[in-house]
Amino acid sequence: MNGTDRKSKILMAGVGASALMLAVSASMPSAQTAATASKLAGQAAYRRQCSVCHGEKGEGSKKYSHALAGSRTAASLAAYISKSMPPGPAAKRCTSSDAKLIADYIYDAFYSPIAQARSQPASFSLSRLTVRQYRNSVTDLLGSFGSQAGADPAERGLKAEYYKTGRPNGGSRVIERTDATVHFSFGTGTPGPAVPDPYQFSMKWNGSVYAPDTGEYDFIVRSEHAIQLWVNDDRTPLIDAEVKSGDRNEYHGTRFLLGGRWYPISVLFEKGVTGVDNIEKVKKKPPVTASISLEWQRPKLPAEVIPERCLTPRWSPAIYTPSVPFPPDDRSIGYERGTSVTRAWEEAETSSALDTAGFVSTHLRQLSGVPDDAPDRELKLKQFSKRFVERAFRRPLTPDLQEKYVDRHFLPGQDPALSVKRVVILTLKSPRFLYTDLAAAGSAPDPYDVASRLSYALLDSPPDGELARAAEAGELLKPEQVERQANRLLADPRAWAKLREFFLLWFKVDQVPDLAKDPKQYPEFDARVASDLRTSFELGLKQIAFGENTGYRDLFLTRKVFLNGRLAKIYGANLPEDATFQEVEASPDERCGMLTHPYLMSAFAYLKGSSPIHRGVLIYRNMLGRILEPPPAAFAPLASDVHPDFTTRQRVEFQTKPPFCNGCHQLINPVGYTLEKYDAIGRVRKTDNGKTVDCSGEYITGSGDKVRFTGPDALEKYIAESPEAHKAFVEKLFQFLVKQPVRAYGKQMLPEMVQAFDSSNCSIRGLLVRTAVQTALKR
Amino acid sequence: MAELNTRREFLKTIGASAAVLPLICGLPSLAEGHGGKRKQRLIIMFSPDGVIQENFWPDEEGTDFKLKESLKPLEPFKKQTAILHGVCDKIRGDGDGHMRGIGCLLTGIELFPGNVQGGSDTPAGWSSGISIDQEIRNFLQKDPATRTRYGSLEFGVMVPERADTWTRMSYAGPNQPVAPISDPYQMFGRLYGRVKDQETLKSVLDDLKEDIGRVRSNVSASDRKILDDHTTLVRELELDLKNTGKELAHAVPVIEPGVRIDNDNMPAISRLQIELLVNSFTGDLTRVATLQYTNSVGESRHRWLGINEGQHSLSHEPDTNKDAQDKLTRINKWYCEQLAYLAKRLAETPEPGGQGSLLDNTTIVWTNELGKGNSHTPDNVPWVMVGGGLGFQMGKSYKFPRVAHNRLLLSFAHGFGHRITKFGNPDFCGEGPLPIFS
Repeated sequence: MNGTDRKSKILMAGVGASALMLAVSASMPSAQTAATASKLAGQAAYRRQCSVCHGEKGEGSKKYSHALAGSRTAASLAAYISKSMPPGPAAKRCTSSDAKLIADYIYDAFYSPIAQARSQPASFSLSRLTVRQYRNSVTDLLGSFGSQAGADPAERGLKAEYYKTGRPNGGSRVIERTDATVHFSFGTGTPGPAVPDPYQFSMKWNGSVYAPDTGEYDFIVRSEHAIQLWVNDDRTPLIDAEVKSGDRNEYHGTRFLLGGRWYPISVLFEKGVTGVDNIEKVKKKPPVTASISLEWQRPKLPAEVIPERCLTPRWSPAIYTPSVPFPPDDRSIGYERGTSVTRAWEEAETSSALDTAGFVSTHLRQLSGVPDDAPDRELKLKQFSKRFVERAFRRPLTPDLQEKYVDRHFLPGQDPALSVKRVVILTLKSPRFLYTDLAAAGSAPDPYDVASRLSYALLDSPPDGELARAAEAGELLKPEQVERQANRLLADPRAWAKLREFFLLWFKVDQVPDLAKDPKQYPEFDARVASDLRTSFELGLKQIAFGENTGYRDLFLTRKVFLNGRLAKIYGANLPEDATFQEVEASPDERCGMLTHPYLMSAFAYLKGSSPIHRGVLIYRNMLGRILEPPPAAFAPLASDVHPDFTTRQRVEFQTKPPFCNGCHQLINPVGYTLEKYDAIGRVRKTDNGKTVDCSGEYITGSGDKVRFTGPDALEKYIAESPEAHKAFVEKLFQFLVKQPVRAYGKQMLPEMVQAFDSSNCSIRGLLVRTAVQTALKR
Repeated sequence: MAELNTRREFLKTIGASAAVLPLICGLPSLAEGHGGKRKQRLIIMFSPDGVIQENFWPDEEGTDFKLKESLKPLEPFKKQTAILHGVCDKIRGDGDGHMRGIGCLLTGIELFPGNVQGGSDTPAGWSSGISIDQEIRNFLQKDPATRTRYGSLEFGVMVPERADTWTRMSYAGPNQPVAPISDPYQMFGRLYGRVKDQETLKSVLDDLKEDIGRVRSNVSASDRKILDDHTTLVRELELDLKNTGKELAHAVPVIEPGVRIDNDNMPAISRLQIELLVNSFTGDLTRVATLQYTNSVGESRHRWLGINEGQHSLSHEPDTNKDAQDKLTRINKWYCEQLAYLAKRLAETPEPGGQGSLLDNTTIVWTNELGKGNSHTPDNVPWVMVGGGLGFQMGKSYKFPRVAHNRLLLSFAHGFGHRITKFGNPDFCGEGPLPIFS
């Protein structure tokens, strides 16, 4: 194995080694294959000798009505069967070897308690807020006592003010405009003729910055002069370099931000001197250069100039953001859910409650609007506390709860600020805050339950003021009223933030794959290209998945790709080198659907070559909703020099030929082969290893039909129309939204949702609204 | 047996005469007091704008000296006091006298060029090196035996809400000024906030458990499990809180509430900060502290002394203005009273788990960015020390022949056993630490 291929193996871990099912040699023993064989033999024997009375799945029949379920061990079942089954003459009894095969099979398939639990209908389970929901809930709770953010702003860039003095003052402002980004170099001159003096001028940029993901953001300002940066805090700068000192010209500051929100940002630049106003002393030397660049490093991505699309000149209120680290939520069944509580979670939640209470204490006057010297301060703070608890619990307080959560904490002679602190800590630790849906099972939800369910389903956030008002006014009783609210909520930036998360998970790129490529083979592909590709993918995703007039099918039929100058050069579009992202129509033989997006093609590939297996597994499992057992072991891909004349396709075919590989790989590989015309960086290729690429492939459906594909277009068209794929999509999105299994809402829910999806032209917005409305009103 | 207050007392009690003293001091266990190393502490106190020299420096050199008017408040601690005349700040470079005065005072190195323009000279930025308090802090934090929760605490009294070269004397490194905390309530929150929070948390847990129980009774049987798990976690939290409560080494001090942060409350703020500082030593939260009164060019108005002019403006008056000289003498005497009060509070607080008082194990260093306000001279910068923390010979008026202050900074480090040979600009470290050790 050569060095590069060893690297490929490491990369594999990043893209999901568990998806690999390759064998190095055919002599490899496989316990799994033997187990599968005996399972099949057991099933065959059961069908031959038992199912006529006991039913296909042990459910029983007219001849024998009891279901086969119990607590015997498999061995004791085997003994029983060989002694007494089938009933009748002893000569017709099972052989002991058949009895063992049958016993093992039925034990695992439906007899044992574990098998029973597996086959039982899924039920609704009480859940705490997920970490994402928790952070949004605390943020919105505190935010509800401050200025409210407006609708998602349409304008982009930042408001810019230029001053002809070394420090901004109203009289010296000479330019007002919107700047797309803050990335300027003025040389030894000035920003423009309106600014006469190269020794002194200053600028201010104001507006808001959009956080696409939740996490730590490293803000970076580069400048040779004095600068200050404020992010989500109007008082204390995140970076304070108003004193320029030495040759330092790069400054960093970190903020924890929640995805899907706008945060206030402002930047100040000052060229000149501070302190004693004596610029003449500086003018004895020639003017020095001036530049400024406002950059950030988003979680897991390389640093870049903050792009225009993440900036708006519109103001947003500063919002408290709980930044205590939480343990990640359970995601073992495909979506984050809060069905368990652990010590680590409880510690994080407690520490966050204390932090939040501390913030409320230090900002009590702004949040409550009660001056420190108000004569009726205690009464007013009590009223504030009541509103706080109501908003936290997402419903009005009964007199009993008001006593327990508010009144009893206002002790005579105690500083009412301390009472508020007690209320806040108790409230944030209360199950009435921490759990999403405490409506008693079987009873109809009241309007407050509806408001809360709706909002968490669409935004992972508690009801906003308008929803709370509608609940209070009894306007959430009829489906059309709830639907109107759901449609309104879709305009909130948090709706896309949540849906985006779903799509990244669905396309298996939520963990931000490492796109390292072989620099010899792909010299043009670097970290910036990788980051651009992700941006391009996300822009395309939002455009289609969240567009007003596009839907699920367009995800697989689109020929449009977002490219900037850098990507255009690599992926063959005619754009100027410095072009910002724009939609480009690809020719039909180049791109078809998001699955052929160069970002996914690079992510599901190796350092040098493509990976039909990874591509096949992604589509087979996620898009087609099929189940694959994990491979019996992780295998390294066959080195390319073992059969130097092979194409990738031939090598994969060769390596997965042994029967115990082929059971699954005959299903996976032919799906992945259809994308063979895309190399390891997702560029279209005509040949692989000197031979014409073969993009033909096939798929065996759940009902056993074989579908043949001539290439990627055929595959994507199939996924766009396949009922199997529609069902998989509806189920996955439904569960992601409500964080409960779809079967918990009754057997009919899924087929009905799929039907409505199909008859709405596969509209994703329609599916979001329907899911949220139906589950909000469900008993 | 009665507690012995000082090492000297201890030696007296065991009857060690001057003749056997060197012998005894050679025995490490005795030299270091009882059982292991004693805790050593350093406080650097700053007041601005120079002093009136003839009312400050003793005329005499040696152990027999008289305290002048500005230093009269130190009379009760005279035997634990050392006054160092002739120590000069020789750092030059960018920045005006006041900027270099405060910025090079504890760093012993030049300021970076920058954009802060003073009344004269070239503009400058922050200091290009670490300050001695932070150097010692890092030294102590490296060793688990001397490590404390905060390492160092920076107290301020009416330091303006403005970060520039004139308001910062402590530096964690080049270009890394450390902002002092001037609000005693903010400092209290920093020191004891979590403890107070835990008390509040503890007080609501009964209500919480009760309500989880009520919620539990309303949900289906299968949903009770998660709430049972939750209840167990709350019980465990309660136990944890009980245990951490026991570990807290000292009581949370009760401080006077509601003192507003403004000029006229400076005396009250000073007392509050001193109280918190002494308590942070009792709890061993830190062994290094700075206490900064206002800032370089400080313009506070000492109205409680009947002085309505700002201090900096007064300090520019010529020597012939007797009224200004008198007022400045009284202002410096007031700062000296703060020093004496701090010394008194340390002296009356026994060393927890050790010998003597806190003052026996603490050296307070009082200094200033200038020797003299109206000339802006960096020569003869005031250096007055009180207490037995660093093993200097106290009860003495020292007169040095214009030595660089870097050598004194080195002495502070050596007092802690941190034997560095250079600190700040190496050109001024010449003959090493000043010979002030006992």
